[in-house]
Amino acid sequence: MDDKYKFIDFLGLRFNVANDLSALVAAILVFILVFSLSRKITMKPGKAQNVLEWMIDFTDSIVKSAFPDGSGSRFSLYAFVLFLFIFVSNQLGLIFQIKVDGFTYIKSPTTNPIVTMSLALVSLMLAHYYSVKKFGFGTYLSNYARPVSFLLPINLLEEFTNFLTLSLRLYGNIFAGEVLLALIGTVAKSFGLVSFVIAIPVEMIWQGFSVFIGAIQAYVFTTLSMVYISRKMEKE
Amino acid sequence: MASLLVLGAGKLALGDMLFILISFILLSLAVKHYAWGPVTKMMDARSEKISGDLDYADQERARADKLGKEREEALKNSRAEAIEIVNKAKDNGDSQKKAIVADAHSEAETVRTRAKQDAEKAKQDAMQDAQNDIANLSLEIASRVISKELNADDQKSLIDSYIKELTVNNETK
Repeated sequence: MDDKYKFIDFLGLRFNVANDLSALVAAILVFILVFSLSRKITMKPGKAQNVLEWMIDFTDSIVKSAFPDGSGSRFSLYAFVLFLFIFVSNQLGLIFQIKVDGFTYIKSPTTNPIVTMSLALVSLMLAHYYSVKKFGFGTYLSNYARPVSFLLPINLLEEFTNFLTLSLRLYGNIFAGEVLLALIGTVAKSFGLVSFVIAIPVEMIWQGFSVFIGAIQAYVFTTLSMVYISRKMEKE
Repeated sequence: MASLLVLGAGKLALGDMLFILISFILLSLAVKHYAWGPVTKMMDARSEKISGDLDYADQERARADKLGKEREEALKNSRAEAIEIVNKAKDNGDSQKKAIVADAHSEAETVRTRAKQDAEKAKQDAMQDAQNDIANLSLEIASRVISKELNADDQKSLIDSYIKELTVNNETK
């Protein structure tokens, strides 16, 4: 899209204000959500605690399906936060977008590949870190030549494709959703009241679908992260 | 958008990566401290409590089974005891009854023998009285006979009859 972004250069690093502000808002929303749900922790759970435990059980089941031997419990928190953060990020731009003087300030942070690449990088770094920690550096390197040595280039290539598919899948889905939302918005403005009335139900339908896509993509991203981590932690 | 991804063409938005990373880590820590930690702890505690409760229920049931069996046993024993007590009471009653009847028999016997003796004694007394009466009577008769005037023959026959009478009387005694 033709969105313009404000950039801040600080210590030789470039910050995209829209990405950072949106990510911050998403993080704060996630925190407010779990904080408000966890105020009364009792043995017999209340409504809020039930919701929170249901979410925890959900992400735990993702982790368990990737680590059937139960060794993945240390990644449960990561999966939980990752899922909630991506989910809230995906929905953020559907609910509100803030533009001031043509510059975007708040949107879905996941509509930017840098953000999704950061998240994918976190997951893959965890995978490599725990692989080295478990096998030692030598075995970790030799794992690239398993099960047979001529697969080495394919295995190396796979690391990059994993990274790219993981990050760009999320980015593409959410970005496309928001592009279409913006397009429908443009249509609404094109012929005055008539197109406005027609565009509203279409926009609603697409928003509903985008909520669905956002949830699915959060689930997919979390699941694939766990699968990549678990695959790095086993010898083929 | 593509310019964001081109390395070397100006600056990559590395700051964003850093920002996302830091905010994500901070979010994880905050979530862990305020929500994840307490909730998972409580979930673990709950699952432990549930398994503990299940174990406890098993124990309690086993105990209740044992108690029930013991109670049944005790009931059976008490029934046998009751039967024994009743039997004993019956035996006691029987023996007492026999003793009472025997006592009554012996008492009746003594009463009867005493009555017999009494009757015998009364008869003897009566006989004694009768003898005395007869002696007095005969004395009177004798005195009356003596006071009457007798001739020799009459006297002789009278004395003979008298003596005869006496001997008969003595023989019957």
